[in-house]
Amino acid sequence: MTRPFLSIRAVRKAFGAFVAVHDVTIDVPKGEFLTFLGPSGSGKSTTLYAIAGFQDPTAGDVLLEDKSLLSVPSHKRNIGMVFQRYTLFPHLSVAENVAFPLRVRRRPDAEVKRKVADMLALVRLEKFAERYPGALSGGQQQRVALARALAYDPPILLMDEPLSALDKKLRQEIQAEIRRIHRETGVTILYVTHDQEEALHLSDRIALFKEGRIEQIGTGEDLYLRPASEFVAGFIGNSNFLAAEHLETENGVALVRLADGSIVKGVKATHALGRGQKARLMVRPEAFRLTPMEGNAALAVEIVDTAFFGDRRRVVARTKSGDEIDVRPTSDTAEPGGADAASGRQIFFDPATAFLFPA
Amino acid sequence: MQAHSLSRGSVAGLPAGSGGALPALVLVGLFFVVPVVALLLRSVTDPEPGLQNYAALFGSGTYVRVFLNTFLVAAVVTVVTILVAFPVAWMLAIMPPALGSIVFGIIILSMWTNLLTRTYAWMVLLQRTGVINRALMGLGVIDEPLPLINNLTGVTIGMVYIMLPFMILPLVGTLRAIDPMTLRAAALCGASPLQAFRRILLPLSLPGIAAGGLMVFVMSLGYFVTPALLGGTSNTMLAEMIAQTVQSLLNWGLGSAAAFVLLAVTMVLYAIQLRMVGARRLAGGL
Repeated sequence: MTRPFLSIRAVRKAFGAFVAVHDVTIDVPKGEFLTFLGPSGSGKSTTLYAIAGFQDPTAGDVLLEDKSLLSVPSHKRNIGMVFQRYTLFPHLSVAENVAFPLRVRRRPDAEVKRKVADMLALVRLEKFAERYPGALSGGQQQRVALARALAYDPPILLMDEPLSALDKKLRQEIQAEIRRIHRETGVTILYVTHDQEEALHLSDRIALFKEGRIEQIGTGEDLYLRPASEFVAGFIGNSNFLAAEHLETENGVALVRLADGSIVKGVKATHALGRGQKARLMVRPEAFRLTPMEGNAALAVEIVDTAFFGDRRRVVARTKSGDEIDVRPTSDTAEPGGADAASGRQIFFDPATAFLFPA
Repeated sequence: MQAHSLSRGSVAGLPAGSGGALPALVLVGLFFVVPVVALLLRSVTDPEPGLQNYAALFGSGTYVRVFLNTFLVAAVVTVVTILVAFPVAWMLAIMPPALGSIVFGIIILSMWTNLLTRTYAWMVLLQRTGVINRALMGLGVIDEPLPLINNLTGVTIGMVYIMLPFMILPLVGTLRAIDPMTLRAAALCGASPLQAFRRILLPLSLPGIAAGGLMVFVMSLGYFVTPALLGGTSNTMLAEMIAQTVQSLLNWGLGSAAAFVLLAVTMVLYAIQLRMVGARRLAGGL
């Protein structure tokens, strides 16, 4: 195995009796865009702060090209960072903000000037060089922060929920900017967010945090199509969970009974479950169909609501046992219940696309 | 509108509807404007009309020395106060709010304690046989008592102590408004703690330093009690000189002239600060 560029080794952070991060280990290859995703308080920011040097881990090590970073103070780590809140220096112009890291490194004036121009071009803010941060919008400020963080060509760029203070449209716009900048500079990015869509959009790999541990690490596809646990399945994408009982597993295929008594055959068995064990069957909203196909399982439901969005139809259904189900068939826009909504219908899904987790 | 009318000194020219402010204006006029005008008049009429009092003031080496000494003391006190107040204010700004308000309370409490009591306390501490000298000699740090009182050192120590709250309060306000994340960002940008202080924290706290500094400087210029008790004869300050001139020499004209010069200097400084603050706001900075 080639040596990792950045290696987070068994990093643990405890605040008194509370352990915020439990022995997190990740290897990050050069140039990767890795996202720490998780709900608030899951330890993702704490892990990032350990890399930035704002918090010393209780145990473990952080290695950059085989050298430990922990004994290096923040200002000598040579790491770039964009923060959640706007942290531009309010008394300096945009150009001087971007120049700041170069000035404290005592780089020659000509180089500073050239680099500032390059960076402002990178974030497309050339015209704003002489403005002060107070006169910029939130999105512009974060772009300046990005330019400042990249001005000294840091080997790693840390981003701590940089878009959380922006409105949705601006978030999407800047996500596209971040992707482009990652492509153009090839910088290794560690990105923290609690927004799964943002993580899926931006990342090469996602590390999903839960209660201070990494629940699963992999590409967005891995997490979406092969979730390791119910938590992952519930956090990434939309999901419906149906109460079920595991009957038996043979050749990696499980047989389950749902709460309404119906039997589902052909579910992938990714977890070892005992006979009769309580389980949860997860089906993605887009895995449901309104018209059956060969081998589909059927679910008797009552249609609660239906809305038509042109390219898809969104249906809210209720099972006989009272679970509400979100149904968003992708290519099947047939009318489910029509005016006769309460009469009771069936919806269908391919059991091979469902996931079975222990309850 | 009201300020404009006031500056012309015309009560009759007040806009309609400002009648409610009239009692206050009369009060201000009676107790502030009239005495100042009387002071000015006295300085040019007593003992006879003319500018002879001002001529005496600026013509005499003694008085000029007192003026210079007053500015020197005020400047030293201001600088030392800023140096002492900054770390205290920074500590207060980053402290947990509950603890911060306790420390804040202690500082405010010291302001409510009688000025004379506090100055006499310093006399007990600073004199030749005072607590500080005896402790240092007992520890064998010094052989001779240090001259801590009846000189510039004594005045500076006593006045810095009195002035500290006036510096700390505006400074804490300014420092609290600075996002601590800004300093973390500076550190990650590669700024050493010293560079972060000099390039980020100091410029951002400048408005607070300027406001507090001017207040301390102006108050120090006219200070009487502390210089009188802790200062020496070689560095008399203006307020002491005015008291002497009026009380001992009964020279009201000269005393008035000195007081008026002090007032004029103070007002010029205040005008300069107003301009500075105004200009900063216009520049879109802080």
